[in-house]
Amino acid sequence: MLGSSDPFPMPRLMARWVHAPRLLPLLVAGLLSACGGSADTSVSTPQEAPLSAAAALGEKIFRDASLSASGQQSCATCHNPATGHAPANALSVQLGGPAMDQQGVRQAPSIRYMSFNTAFFFDGEGTPTGGFFWDGRAASLAEQAAEPFLNPREMANTDKAAVVAKLAQASYAAEFKQAYGDAVFNDVDGAYLRMTLALQQYEREDSEFRGFSSKYDSFLLGKALLTEQEMRGLALFNSPTKGNCAGCHPSSRGADGALPLFTDFTYDNLGVPRNPDIALNADPGYVDLGLCARPDLASHTDLCGAFKVPSLRNVALRGAFFHNGRFKTLKEALTFYVQRDTNPEKWYPLNPDNTANKFDDLPAQYHGNVNTTEVPYNRGLGDTPALSDSEIDDVIVFFHTLSDGYTP
Amino acid sequence: MKRNTLSLAASLAVSLLLPALGAHAQSAATDADLAQKVDKLSAELAALKAQVQASPAAAPAEPATVLTSYGEINYNRPSKKPENAQADVRRFVLGFQHRFDDKTKVVTELEVEHGVSSADDAGEVEVEQAFIEHQLMPGTALRAGLFLMPVGLLNENHEPTAFYGVERNFVETAIIPSTWREGGLQYVGSFDNGLTVQAGLSTTFDLSKWDATSTEGAESPLAAVHQEMSLAKARDVAVFGAANWRGIPGLLLGGSLFTSNATQGQAGFPSARITLWDLHARWTPQRWDLSALYTQGHISNTAELNAPLVGSATLIPERFEGWYVQTAYTAWTSGDQALSPFARYERYNTASRYADLGAGLTPDALPTERVFTVGANYKLNANVVVKLDLQRFKENKDNNRFDLGLGWSF
Repeated sequence: MLGSSDPFPMPRLMARWVHAPRLLPLLVAGLLSACGGSADTSVSTPQEAPLSAAAALGEKIFRDASLSASGQQSCATCHNPATGHAPANALSVQLGGPAMDQQGVRQAPSIRYMSFNTAFFFDGEGTPTGGFFWDGRAASLAEQAAEPFLNPREMANTDKAAVVAKLAQASYAAEFKQAYGDAVFNDVDGAYLRMTLALQQYEREDSEFRGFSSKYDSFLLGKALLTEQEMRGLALFNSPTKGNCAGCHPSSRGADGALPLFTDFTYDNLGVPRNPDIALNADPGYVDLGLCARPDLASHTDLCGAFKVPSLRNVALRGAFFHNGRFKTLKEALTFYVQRDTNPEKWYPLNPDNTANKFDDLPAQYHGNVNTTEVPYNRGLGDTPALSDSEIDDVIVFFHTLSDGYTP
Repeated sequence: MKRNTLSLAASLAVSLLLPALGAHAQSAATDADLAQKVDKLSAELAALKAQVQASPAAAPAEPATVLTSYGEINYNRPSKKPENAQADVRRFVLGFQHRFDDKTKVVTELEVEHGVSSADDAGEVEVEQAFIEHQLMPGTALRAGLFLMPVGLLNENHEPTAFYGVERNFVETAIIPSTWREGGLQYVGSFDNGLTVQAGLSTTFDLSKWDATSTEGAESPLAAVHQEMSLAKARDVAVFGAANWRGIPGLLLGGSLFTSNATQGQAGFPSARITLWDLHARWTPQRWDLSALYTQGHISNTAELNAPLVGSATLIPERFEGWYVQTAYTAWTSGDQALSPFARYERYNTASRYADLGAGLTPDALPTERVFTVGANYKLNANVVVKLDLQRFKENKDNNRFDLGLGWSF
């Protein structure tokens, strides 16, 4: 595919479950907790209960760099808890592989607040929703966690057996046996599955993944006030005629009082410019088509170029933005949003006739998929952008209120 | 009971007599025996008759269970946008009242809106009323359950035969959210001086469900947050009261007040109070039917409620109000039929004031819409009405329309 390992489509995984009857009770428990966990959007409470045995193991696995081929990369390396469980550097794509010199294909997303996501589906109006990774190909946190271990550009293990062998040598191997039985490491598929379920439990139970501790959360709960500039930024964010960001990144509390996740887990096609920093892009024949690159969605050509709407929580901690990490500052990213069509020459390479080669990261037949109807990217050449320079600054100041760990 | 006994006696007599009359095959029965039997039956019948006449005549018994219904089938044709013409089974309502004894009855109404209700269709099925009414003493009753709020002229009498014009007026749909029902306990008292007093405690709205991204709140602020007693949040309790005076025949003067906190104790929502009051009058001298109504609503603490929603399409208003005057004249009658042309002028504003959120952040008050409606109700009889009207909107001229409606109520 795009250099990544085989995805784990649901049907194959299901087949594995059927062939491993010992796993069934565990899987049922996992599924049941899946039903409970992913639907829960209640206001987060501070970490009250200690982590379950599975989650505690998951935390150790999450931080264990010995599980990678290089010995230098754990989940936490790219999904750094200090920076919203996203990379702490400003690389467009992270480096991995056995020698930590292989470029990844897409930007490493933040994995906070992902327990509120669901498996991929088309909603009542046909809108693609849910799914883990930029293209929603994994149906659960566990399925997503299974891939990086085997991705040659990431943790680069040759196969599951290699991972399980490393697991058996880990400092917490005894606890793993205690939780799952002494013979757990004898069954490679079973041990691997339990490893991913432990990671899933960790991501579900640990309050760091759903802190809701930003200044904006305090503001919504009536415990803090936003400054004038932050309020201006919020107003521009919400206004359907100015930023209209809330259209895909909801900022208001749910009907049940749930705090906003700043994503509706749908997909959008922004026509982000091709990123020359990604070595693969040196080959003009290479293209990342997003949703329609999934084998199960290959016929949905209207979805070519669409990628997941990420949460904007902790966005101010990020060093690179969009699926290909093309922009490195919020200022650039927001200016692109409002000036993509009014000043395309700023963002795309120029054609010989000095017109901009718009949507250069998408083959011409898919240019029609790019969103040109929703505010703010519904302008034309020479129109006034939806947000002025100072208004963009106001929105960026508002973004800083979305970082967890606010103390008054 | 007594009637039953009488009819039983009669049928008994008939069933006894008929075989007796047809028993020509039974030669064993002698004429004397037959005569004796007839005498005996006559005597019994006479005794029963006397018994019945001795006790007061039973009033013609009302059926204990009564089926009620009303329906509205409407056609709207905007004059400037004929592509938006619409025909709709606006309401189909079935209800029943069942009297348990002479003091207690249950009143229910089930409504289907827009013809078809399903996950993919626009319609809704809802319980409009479901309450027990118990008479404490003549003129005083208690209602408990889901009942209509005693507000305005239309809310409790909203059947198509009860109002002029195809659509219910905007003041009593956008400001007073007819058909407005809440659950609770209501006292109803009628006094000899013509005064009817209603008061009680009920469920209320849920401000925490205000959706700032939709236009619902601008169409009707209270309808956007009503709960219809469907898994309703019930931490807040409303107090309401209404007084209507009909001391002079043909004249009704009345008013109402409703007030409650409405953020239902939801975490992070400051306490906020919704208050709605109205004054109304209706005068029906000779063939005229004149009415007028003024209503105003307030929501407190909207600055705090709106702060997180700033910039969004529809913020919570601090004040909303409306009034109308209406004239109808029964120009022609013939037997049960009646033709009543009418005219109505209404002004309403669903957000006449917003609390200050700061310079550049406070939304402007919405413009006041003014609607002029002229048309006629034709009653085929007291229960069936055909309606026709023209409506002109001062603000949203695209809504100017011609309406046709059919309604029934029994």
